[in-house]
Amino acid sequence: MLRAVSLLLPALIPSWRFFDAIGPSPRVEYALLPAADAAPRPWREFRPRPAHLSLAAMLGRLVWNPRWNETLFLVSCAERLMDQPTAHSEDEIFRRIDADVGGAASQPWLCFRLVFLSREGDAITRDVLFQSEPRRRADVA
Amino acid sequence: MSFETAVRLTEVLLSLALIQQSLEHLRGQPAERALFLARAALCLLVILGVASPWPLVGLAMLSLLILQRFHGPYNGGSDRMGLLALWCLTLSQLMPSQAWREVVFGYLGLQLVLSYLIAGGVKIVNPDWRSGRALRDVFQFSAYPVSEHLRRWADRPRAMLAMSWAVMLFELAFPLTLLSQPVLVVGLVVAATFHLANACLFGLNRFFWTWLAVYPAILWLQDRLF
Repeated sequence: MLRAVSLLLPALIPSWRFFDAIGPSPRVEYALLPAADAAPRPWREFRPRPAHLSLAAMLGRLVWNPRWNETLFLVSCAERLMDQPTAHSEDEIFRRIDADVGGAASQPWLCFRLVFLSREGDAITRDVLFQSEPRRRADVA
Repeated sequence: MSFETAVRLTEVLLSLALIQQSLEHLRGQPAERALFLARAALCLLVILGVASPWPLVGLAMLSLLILQRFHGPYNGGSDRMGLLALWCLTLSQLMPSQAWREVVFGYLGLQLVLSYLIAGGVKIVNPDWRSGRALRDVFQFSAYPVSEHLRRWADRPRAMLAMSWAVMLFELAFPLTLLSQPVLVVGLVVAATFHLANACLFGLNRFFWTWLAVYPAILWLQDRLF
């Protein structure tokens, strides 16, 4: 309960520093593996955004936007994994990838990595800052 | 707007916003569903005005369990405003006198003003925001644009510069709208349009509904103070 109250305090005394600086931005990539010791190839981006979204779809998301909000939650988990690593953040990412990517009996193992995009001068750079150990998918949920 | 009307409007609007969020969670992980079903049911009781203030107290207690479940707010700033509104409404109802009830509810209105003022302040001291570079970065590589097509906006530096200054000046000028009720109403319409744009471009739908829910608090506070 004390922990919950400590999590509540920043809401009761907020800082409101929205977008004060644009830092490195995480992308979650995952790979399905036939065995725990197999090389994780290919890496796939988790929930890549669509090429185009109509205005009607954007307005529809005002009232129904669960996938996008879950994706933003995973961005928070990815940032937490860098700032204050916990098993909770890693578990959440594993669980939500596993629920989303569908089954493949020949590839019962799953791992993910976090790629951070940032700007150096005028160039956008990609850095892999975290890679999980593979987990058996049957154990993830 | 009377104190009672403002409190009631905030309660109803916040409950509707929380029901919208709760329904989204019902398609999520099984462990989340019970928490959010309970939250939706309590929100319904708040809207119906049944057994006040206990449904609000229940929602406040439930918010602690939800914070624990996700190790923090599920969706950052929007959830923080929702929590602030919920706890201010709950504590206001539990205060022993009208004066204290007004202080607690007024704090919510004050935080709404600060949410714009501070967000504008931290941007304008950053040279990247003043040059439009920061907003280009948001569109170019941040996780927020809802489609790849929107990333092309980063290739229009003049538009990014104009949008950056429009956002910063609006946020910084927002406290001036408190000087009169008609000006405040105009300010809130502009603010709601800003949140609508953020919802469309960046998928931040929770901000739109949560900030809207708090507008009665600032309308009441303006009337009370000026």
